[in-house]
Amino acid sequence: MTSDYAVLTEDLTKFYGQRRGIESLTLRVGAGEVLGFLGPNGAGKTTTIRLLLDFLRPTSGSATVLGLDPRRDKAALHRQIGYLPGELSFPGRETAGDLLRFFGAARGGVAWSQVTALAERLDLDLSRPVRTMSKGNKQKVGLVQAFMHRPALLILDEPTSGLDPLMQQEFLAMVRDARDAGQTVFMSSHVLAEVQHTADRVAIIRDGRLAAVERVESLGKRAIRSVEIHFNDPVDPAEFDVLPGVSEVTVSGPVLRCTVSGRLDPLIKMAARHEVVDMLSAEPDLEETFLSFYYHSEGAGDASRAGA
Amino acid sequence: MLPALVRKTWRDDRRAVLGWAVGVAAFTTIYTSFYRQFQGAAELKQEALPQGMLDFLGIADMFSPAGYLQATIFSLVGPLLVLMCAITLTARTIARPEEDGGMELLLANPLSRTAFAGQRLAATGTAVTVVAAIPLLLLFVVVPRVGMDIPLSNVAAAGVGLIALVWCFTGIAFLAGAVSGRRSSVLAVTGALAVAAYMANAISGMSEGWHWVRWLSPFHYFIGTDPLHTGWHPVELLILVAVGAATALAGVWAFDRRDVGV
Repeated sequence: MTSDYAVLTEDLTKFYGQRRGIESLTLRVGAGEVLGFLGPNGAGKTTTIRLLLDFLRPTSGSATVLGLDPRRDKAALHRQIGYLPGELSFPGRETAGDLLRFFGAARGGVAWSQVTALAERLDLDLSRPVRTMSKGNKQKVGLVQAFMHRPALLILDEPTSGLDPLMQQEFLAMVRDARDAGQTVFMSSHVLAEVQHTADRVAIIRDGRLAAVERVESLGKRAIRSVEIHFNDPVDPAEFDVLPGVSEVTVSGPVLRCTVSGRLDPLIKMAARHEVVDMLSAEPDLEETFLSFYYHSEGAGDASRAGA
Repeated sequence: MLPALVRKTWRDDRRAVLGWAVGVAAFTTIYTSFYRQFQGAAELKQEALPQGMLDFLGIADMFSPAGYLQATIFSLVGPLLVLMCAITLTARTIARPEEDGGMELLLANPLSRTAFAGQRLAATGTAVTVVAAIPLLLLFVVVPRVGMDIPLSNVAAAGVGLIALVWCFTGIAFLAGAVSGRRSSVLAVTGALAVAAYMANAISGMSEGWHWVRWLSPFHYFIGTDPLHTGWHPVELLILVAVGAATALAGVWAFDRRDVGV
């Protein structure tokens, strides 16, 4: 049943003439799920989002959103979608309040208390003209209009760009609240850290193709740690080089530095044969994981080209 | 209540519409109010210029009240003003938001593509019509007051003709914007067509061999029938309205079928 999925794409493909947008993207986002849609700039995230919203028409393949056809059912569908564009530009010169009143009226009426509650939460002054606002404040207006009508599906393109860290935390709390209320969230980002605390799953897109879809926890298991061990006496790097998951071993005197992928057990067992003075292990950085598994492993050239 | 998008379009355009309305009103009032003072000068102007030049400028005669009104309001500057207003405002319906990025949030409203295009066009079309109707409304007051001896029915025919001309070019401008999504295309295509149409009508009067080209020119259907002397010409006016309606519908159709904001 398609209606179990908030977003369902099958072989979705978009070319702009000869230029590749996305190619054969098949993706399923369950109702009530938070999906982080990750990839470097230019990978096709915004193209995918615009196809889901019927701003673009697919070259081939199809998309179903909330069980509806993005083109045929656009009016009914957009009533249930909250959309935050990646490049925010607001039509007109009004104050944030008047602009939000327009969005509310256009969506068939939104309780004003809902708007003021969100504005308060994000510390947004509704009486100021949007044009005169900083990037961060404009982003807040964008978030308020996306969340204000409690849509079944939130499509957020780079939602935290321009927000200070405090507001990023508030935004993530809003996403968690949305999930608790049964809303589906589809948010794109080029920074993994941004979605790792809220997303259930992460879809990674590179060069217009879906590179992987993973649960966030399983990404963590693959984490790469950098480990530094201080021994009492100098050690032989060859001993450690051969251990499974251990690489980039360097030894200077009694200090050993290496990176470990996966479980730490083999390294610990080997280190225990010597007298250990100190050990430092950096937190698993999902950013590193993300890059190493999906960019570096299949050629760094791809990633740098896609980022252009 | 009117659709939110229509009200929003009017709110965003109100400064521009007000500016054009004031300009067109001032132009109409100033030229016609000084009818008596201009009379003497007009005779001199007409004697000084060769007939071919007068034809090109669209000046039939400046002695008669109808000739004076046609020369001042309906021949060149009047249509030019209202057409510039129509073209620039129509460029804001689709092309401008598409270029400056505001389109994404406008198009995210729960409306079908055709309803979106239709509401944008309806809002702007109304604003443009109001501006284009200003000469008509003012002349109803000014013409009797300054003692111009023209039947008000003929003034109405010319004034309505101006509105029909504006509808014609509004449709063309809307089509250009709906297809291209670019303001420069709207201004270039519609501006060039308007100039060509004006020239075609002017040249056709000067040379027998070129007589036929006026049938291609919207200006012929607007003023070539000489409404200030001869009154209403409904067929010609309907042709202008039909061109405007057909191009507007084609624009809605095209906008429904293309990628937006690429």
